[in-house]
Amino acid sequence: MKLNIIQQRGLWWAISGSFVLASLVAMAISWQQFGAPLKPGLDFAGGTRLQLSRACVTTSSCSGAIDLTEVRQVLGQQGLDSSSIQVLGDDQQVISIRTRNLNVDERTSLQSALDKAIGPFDTSSTQIDSVGPVIGKQLLVSGLLALMVSFAGIVAYLSLRFKLDYALLAILALAHDVIVTSGVFAILGLVLGVEVDSLFIVSLLTIVGFSVNDTVVIYDRVRENMKLNPGGHINDIVDSAVNQTLARSINTSLTTILPLLAIFIFGGQTLKYFALALIVGFVAGSYSSIFIASSLLALWRERTGHAYSSQAEGADPQPETQI
Amino acid sequence: MALTIAAVVVITQLPTRLGLDLRGGSQLTIQVQPTEKIPTITDREMEAVQTVVEGRVNGLGVSEAVVQQLGNNQLLVQLPGVSDPEQAERVLGGTAQLEFRAQRPGTEQQLQIENQVLQGHLGELAALQASIPQGTAIDSDTQARLEKLQADVKASEAAVAALFEPSTLGGDKLTDAIARPTSGTLWEVVIQFNNEGGKEFAELSKAIAGTGRSIGIFLDNRLLSAPTVNVQYAETGITGGAAVISGNFTAESARDLEIQLRGGALPLPVEVVENRTVGPTLGRDSIQRSLYAGMAGLVLVLVFMAVYYRLPGVLADIALIIYALLTWAAFNLLGVTLTLPGIAGFILSIGMAVDANVLIFERTREELKSNKTLYRSVESGFFRAFSSILDGNVTTLISCLALFSFGAGLVKGFALTLGIGVVISMFTALTCTRTLMFLAISLPQFRQPSLFCPGLDSARPNPVRP
Repeated sequence: MKLNIIQQRGLWWAISGSFVLASLVAMAISWQQFGAPLKPGLDFAGGTRLQLSRACVTTSSCSGAIDLTEVRQVLGQQGLDSSSIQVLGDDQQVISIRTRNLNVDERTSLQSALDKAIGPFDTSSTQIDSVGPVIGKQLLVSGLLALMVSFAGIVAYLSLRFKLDYALLAILALAHDVIVTSGVFAILGLVLGVEVDSLFIVSLLTIVGFSVNDTVVIYDRVRENMKLNPGGHINDIVDSAVNQTLARSINTSLTTILPLLAIFIFGGQTLKYFALALIVGFVAGSYSSIFIASSLLALWRERTGHAYSSQAEGADPQPETQI
Repeated sequence: MALTIAAVVVITQLPTRLGLDLRGGSQLTIQVQPTEKIPTITDREMEAVQTVVEGRVNGLGVSEAVVQQLGNNQLLVQLPGVSDPEQAERVLGGTAQLEFRAQRPGTEQQLQIENQVLQGHLGELAALQASIPQGTAIDSDTQARLEKLQADVKASEAAVAALFEPSTLGGDKLTDAIARPTSGTLWEVVIQFNNEGGKEFAELSKAIAGTGRSIGIFLDNRLLSAPTVNVQYAETGITGGAAVISGNFTAESARDLEIQLRGGALPLPVEVVENRTVGPTLGRDSIQRSLYAGMAGLVLVLVFMAVYYRLPGVLADIALIIYALLTWAAFNLLGVTLTLPGIAGFILSIGMAVDANVLIFERTREELKSNKTLYRSVESGFFRAFSSILDGNVTTLISCLALFSFGAGLVKGFALTLGIGVVISMFTALTCTRTLMFLAISLPQFRQPSLFCPGLDSARPNPVRP
């Protein structure tokens, strides 16, 4: 298999462009509906989530699935009509209720009312998440700050090891991956009501780390090829670099995505969407590294009049890696 | 090899510390609210509030509870295996209640007895908690004994409190408390009241002086100290709004009392702003599911490596298993608390470790295809892949660093395990795989290029390249 990266770059850019555009549109719609580009979860919006499961071993109360209307009635009595309720689990014996931020007394009274109506619950598998508005903002700010700082750190490191233009183009490819992943979750939020929590920010950061890794491997090869072919045209150099690293790019993505797929399909509830975000991001990351980062580099070099590699350019700042 | 054996020993000897989301428990973030009187919260105030909160946490009787300061005005409280999170939240929130109460007449002996009973219970409880190994789940038998002892302690405390009269002299009227040395190694604690408090304290001390009864200093209804008042104050009481509590104080115990008093004097309301509680069985379920899923994925990766890369793939698989053992041992050694995102970080770091191997093998194949000898191909495969591996891993480490410094809680755990994993993965890919590869090509039966690269023409026209 040989890919013509440069020749068909219009196609690759069109594919990426349409994904980015769709993502931005989804985020814009999301902005209108939720006031944020992605549907904010508990971590960012604040609120209380109660997950209760019926104690089925000891009682015969689990004859059927949990009745949503009963739960709604209880919530109505507690003045929490606008809460969202989900029934989970294989036997539909678990409810997850998300309300505004409740204080401990409100929460206890809700819990005991629910216990009376549809209980008893198994207290050892209860989950409570209660996040005040202050904390929500704190989590969001610290997450975004971490994202920005790691972008800056990567630019600094890459311009040190390569050149500034490599670094900036790598960041462009990263932005592409982050936007596409966010876009997919904006769509999921609009369609399935999937919310993003602080794990989503973690996944974005991991995507950044992995995708830059992909890009670096290709750029590393471009740099090496420049050194081996002084005077070669950038287009040919990029083309062969991508093709030489193609097997590695595909295999690495595959081996990383395999465990993630397993977690997505069989893993616990908490990690499900985390794994999905990583899968989407890694696929986008491999794509952007192979098709976008490489062709952008060629274009940039051509436009700036550096189409032909020079010996000095290819020189590795680390002499020990030369053979 | 020795490292691997050491790793296995570490894993079996040192327990893996599990986070609250895996073993069950509550994590509360408590925010200290400024008031009109105290508009800004300094470290001095935080220290005092922390002591009050620690006192309350101890009252809950949860073993291995942790109270940490978080930022400028927050406290993070971790309560592993807490059985009643509502009670915990209620106890931890709210302003501290410090009171100076007069002992009821005729209870002198009873106070001593009750105090002894209380100390006995506290001692037993501490001994039981100390006997539970760190980071492990508590079995139901121990749990029952713990709960029984906690109930005893509570009953004892209530019995002690019942020996004192209610009072209106509260912490709001105490302005300061300072520990200071007296003579030799002895210490004392000076307390200072405001005007109103000074008058009330004078009356209180007048009533008590010389009777042999004591003034009970209570924080959140628990007796901190019960000093008696000398007979010389029987006529006027201790006037002037200041008093000295002396006795068998060491520097440490005096300072403890000082901070407790100051914490009790602070009219700072604290509010529980975040509560994350996971029931113990729920945690166990999620750890099992995610672990099984991760394992299944890893087995797939191992199979893929062996099938696609043949002999080097098998060697890399061995190196990966060593890698996983080393990393796990490193977590135990460094005392990393493993949370669910932490496990995800670990699994991802295995992905990074695989990547390093893939880079090396692809490079080796390329060299083989360009007709180099096996030895030189392997050699330059490692050599040339190094810069890619280094760059890739450093950029990932940069992300980890950013996450670790700015992230909170779960995010930190993820960054830590991924970071440790990446560092160890670089080490194993470059040493373990390398050693195994060179070991393999030193054995004649393995010295066939087709074992390294399928489809390569084994009848090689020109094995030497300039």
